[in-house]
Amino acid sequence: MSEPSIILGYRPKEKIPEPLTFLKCFSCGIENSRPFKEEDYVLKIVNDEKCPKCGGTSSKIVNIYVPEKKTAK
Amino acid sequence: MVVNFSAILNPATGGDNVLSFLLSLIWIAFLMIFFLYPSFGQRMQLSYMLRDLERKLNKLKAIKDDIHRTTVDTIKRVGKPEKDPTPDIDRLSEFFVIQPESMDPYGLVYKLEHILETGESAYESEVAKLAPHASPHQVKSLTNLVEVLRGINTLYRVVRHYYLLGRKTSNIYMVLQIQMVLPMIIEIAESYQQAAIAFSRGQPIGDGVGPLVAAKLADGREKERYEIAKDTIVQEIEIDNRKVYIVRAAGPGGTVGRPGEAVKQLVEKLPENPKLIITIDAALKLEGEETGKIAEGVGVAIGGPGVDKYKIEELARSRGIPLYAFVIFQSITEAITPMRESIAKSADVVLEKVKQLILEKVKGGETVVVAGIGNTIGVGV
Repeated sequence: MSEPSIILGYRPKEKIPEPLTFLKCFSCGIENSRPFKEEDYVLKIVNDEKCPKCGGTSSKIVNIYVPEKKTAK
Repeated sequence: MVVNFSAILNPATGGDNVLSFLLSLIWIAFLMIFFLYPSFGQRMQLSYMLRDLERKLNKLKAIKDDIHRTTVDTIKRVGKPEKDPTPDIDRLSEFFVIQPESMDPYGLVYKLEHILETGESAYESEVAKLAPHASPHQVKSLTNLVEVLRGINTLYRVVRHYYLLGRKTSNIYMVLQIQMVLPMIIEIAESYQQAAIAFSRGQPIGDGVGPLVAAKLADGREKERYEIAKDTIVQEIEIDNRKVYIVRAAGPGGTVGRPGEAVKQLVEKLPENPKLIITIDAALKLEGEETGKIAEGVGVAIGGPGVDKYKIEELARSRGIPLYAFVIFQSITEAITPMRESIAKSADVVLEKVKQLILEKVKGGETVVVAGIGNTIGVGV
């Protein structure tokens, strides 16, 4: 795709970045991530989602961000 | 048939020869092109440029329409209005704020502050009327969304103005200027498109890194919290016997609060001057610089129209309080679109740097003010 971009000035449309929500379980302290849901915000206490490691139901949202694309070496 | 080549090659002597006549015509055509090219060429170039502008203007319109659609859909989904909000959204997208007169600069900052606050309140109450079922923090995020629409609408109208004016007056220089800046304008418009999605879903944006650092600093240490200025809170914490007052906009709705007024009110209420005022904000990176790079310095790290910056500078000067600042570099696109990993990771690094600075510069029993500056969408308290 790089050649037509140079010749025609065409640039493929960038995909809308989808953030991930990172939750820290209060029981085991493990951080898990899942796709962002509406109503999520940093420091929100979530009581209705099970921790995939220990099954604990209480966790806190510690981060929400778009992960960087890993470039192949 | 014997052809007299010398006669053919010389159009003046060709006489009745058909080939010679054709060559004469070609010569005349060449001469005409040579004499007419300066004006004809410019017209041709102008028409190419106008066609290019028209294509980009159409793209800008498509982005504007997309943001309009997102805004209307979000207000309908979140606010559940009884009637169609489209005409009111269109009216708000044309809303304007007239800058105060600066011929007499005395008191200009306070005049600007008054006008901006009036505009902000009016805008917010209009959006609240459009979305009667939205919570207060959703109203703030929806207000941001309508502001994005207003921004793209202004951008589109200005570009269209220069395109039409350039076409009407056939002024190549006017068209050239707008054509030169249009790639940057399109990039900003595409950022607006992503920003609209972030605001419609309540996702933290790159500009929210200041409040994010403040939120992480207060997390688990908060002793007291109160609102000190509109949409702006103070959280009191202690770090190794040092009293830290954290000032930030109240999330998770999209607002920047009034950090200038908040710091002023706070410092005036304190029994003694704080030893430091630290501001943390996102800053625009230069092309080629790494996103999430952290820099520290002195002064007040606050962007925008300058009212908040002025208030803190004035306060610090009159009381002799040192001003320290941390900035996290990012592009304009990254500042208004969902937060990137590198920016979020920088928040943790800045957090440690702020704690270290407090321990180094502030003695036990003394106080410090830390202000996290930026849009607090998606960052709770």
